[in-house]
Amino acid sequence: MGRHIIERLIVSVPVLLGVLLIGFLLLQVVPSDPAAVIAGPTASQDEIDRIREALGLNEPLWYQFGNYIVRVLQGDFGRSFISNTAVSDELLAAFGPTLELMVASLVWAVPLGILLGTLAAVRRGRLTDRAIMAFSVAGVSMPIFWFGLMLIWIVGFKLNLLPFQGRAGPLWTIDGLRAIALPAITLGGVFVGPIARMTRTSVLEVLGADYVRTARAKGAGEGRVVVRHALRNALIPIVTLIGLQIGFLLGGAVVTATMFAWPGLGRLAVGAIVSTDMPLAQGAIMILALAFLLVNLGVDVLYAYLDPRVKRA
Amino acid sequence: MTTVPAAAAAAAPSPAGAAPAAKPAKGTPARRHSPLRRLLRDKAAVVAGVFLIAVILAAILAPWIAPSDPYANNLRLRMKPPSAQFWLGTDAQGRDMITRILFGMRTSFFIGFVAVAIGGLIGAALGILAAYYSRLDNLIMRIVDVLLTFPAILLGLAIAAVLGPGVGSLIVALAASAVPTVARITRGAASVVMRSEYMEAGRAVGLGDGALIWRYLAPNCVSTILVYLTLQFGQTVLLGASLSFLGLGVQPPVAELGSMAAEGRNFLFFAPHVSTVPSVAIFLVVLAFNVLGDAMRDVLDPRLRQ
Repeated sequence: MGRHIIERLIVSVPVLLGVLLIGFLLLQVVPSDPAAVIAGPTASQDEIDRIREALGLNEPLWYQFGNYIVRVLQGDFGRSFISNTAVSDELLAAFGPTLELMVASLVWAVPLGILLGTLAAVRRGRLTDRAIMAFSVAGVSMPIFWFGLMLIWIVGFKLNLLPFQGRAGPLWTIDGLRAIALPAITLGGVFVGPIARMTRTSVLEVLGADYVRTARAKGAGEGRVVVRHALRNALIPIVTLIGLQIGFLLGGAVVTATMFAWPGLGRLAVGAIVSTDMPLAQGAIMILALAFLLVNLGVDVLYAYLDPRVKRA
Repeated sequence: MTTVPAAAAAAAPSPAGAAPAAKPAKGTPARRHSPLRRLLRDKAAVVAGVFLIAVILAAILAPWIAPSDPYANNLRLRMKPPSAQFWLGTDAQGRDMITRILFGMRTSFFIGFVAVAIGGLIGAALGILAAYYSRLDNLIMRIVDVLLTFPAILLGLAIAAVLGPGVGSLIVALAASAVPTVARITRGAASVVMRSEYMEAGRAVGLGDGALIWRYLAPNCVSTILVYLTLQFGQTVLLGASLSFLGLGVQPPVAELGSMAAEGRNFLFFAPHVSTVPSVAIFLVVLAFNVLGDAMRDVLDPRLRQ
């Protein structure tokens, strides 16, 4: 178990370095000399040179990269070109809303997906199964932005039921809940299909297992067999697969946040890239990537914990 | 949003059955029909396949069959709803939507094709190296495993940030996101080939690594890789459109499905068709690829066949 975790940590290192390298490169592609920018338009060449020296810009690139890693580890991502606020402050402000959006999406999409998937597995080959699977394939093929646009147009505009621009406060207020409803339906909506599909596969596999036959032979009712014996055992792969889909969710969150003007990391990143605010873009991408790596590692450990076979593999 | 690991995982074991199953063993009652025959019996797959062939042909032939010029704007005809003259209406600059859609698919398909070709080559090379050199196997596959789940959109963001938004960075991002899955599939197929007798025979007669890889290993993996890349194409198109929708890929005025949907967003409340039409086009194309992909997997993967 411990060995497994350490192994995973070691494998994550090259990826982590790659992510840091991208962040570092982002700051290198800045068209203007940062020292000249800081010194201001009236500064003499001497002054600029002094600032260059002070910023460490005359050091070799690998050394600057080392410095960069140290700064990132200290939570220092530099300052935004446009608003001149510390990037770390902007990231902190955007982190909460991102988390809210993801949780609000998973909270309904996961149970619904598992329910539909189990139903499809139990009714295998029948109309219910085919309808659920057709719905699932359609969900996987749906551009998330179209789903969001349709919700904005129909629910937000035509029926005027829910707001669709931005966040309106914490989730425990009615306004806050109303504001997050459409983004969460959008993001969760594209997630239901894949979860239903994965659940169906896992449950089908388990339904063929000996212990399920044994349970049936002992006279357990069908509902009990499905829930207690099949679904419970199928949950291990389902939980892992859902965890591995976090990346997919994160990607969807970027599009959703941009569409609904949700003040999350995704919108921050897209806005920064489009307006070439490199420090902000670098910080947002870095945080998204780090969060992703962490969650992935967590899922992996959870899997090893749930499934004893992995520990020895 | 590209990878659906469930699909990838289900596709992974298929290489074992893919190549041999292509030649039907006549006489064995269990496999009387070739995979293609069985695929043709799946109505949904046939509809999807015919639709895709038609759409791809239309995209290739767009300059010759499109009713008008995709870039000729006419401000008198702005945002007209679908009518007899303009079947799918016009966009915010009075350009005929059918024409734009045809050219948009052309752009989306072209970008997807180039990206999948590049990513496929790199991924295949990695997969074959991992299967052939067991020392590299662990290293390559562990990194591939981590990259496999790395969000493609995030990759697209990072690459667009480094290279600047545009077609070039879009292709790089799509290619990069294809690499890990292709590597995985290829390694699966290649390890099966590695265990075959002709590889052993080749080694026994003293063939070098290069000859073994080029003459025997790689050619025997090609069909599996190609099948997989075809199936993956829909997801690549979807991802490309999403990145362009965010403004990180193809830039207006170039007709591309994702950026067309993004342009239409501004007029959603007056002229919903402007963003709906390209979105539906993406949806149908990706759906057709997925339906066809599922059907092919059912046919090729003996484990799932009942």
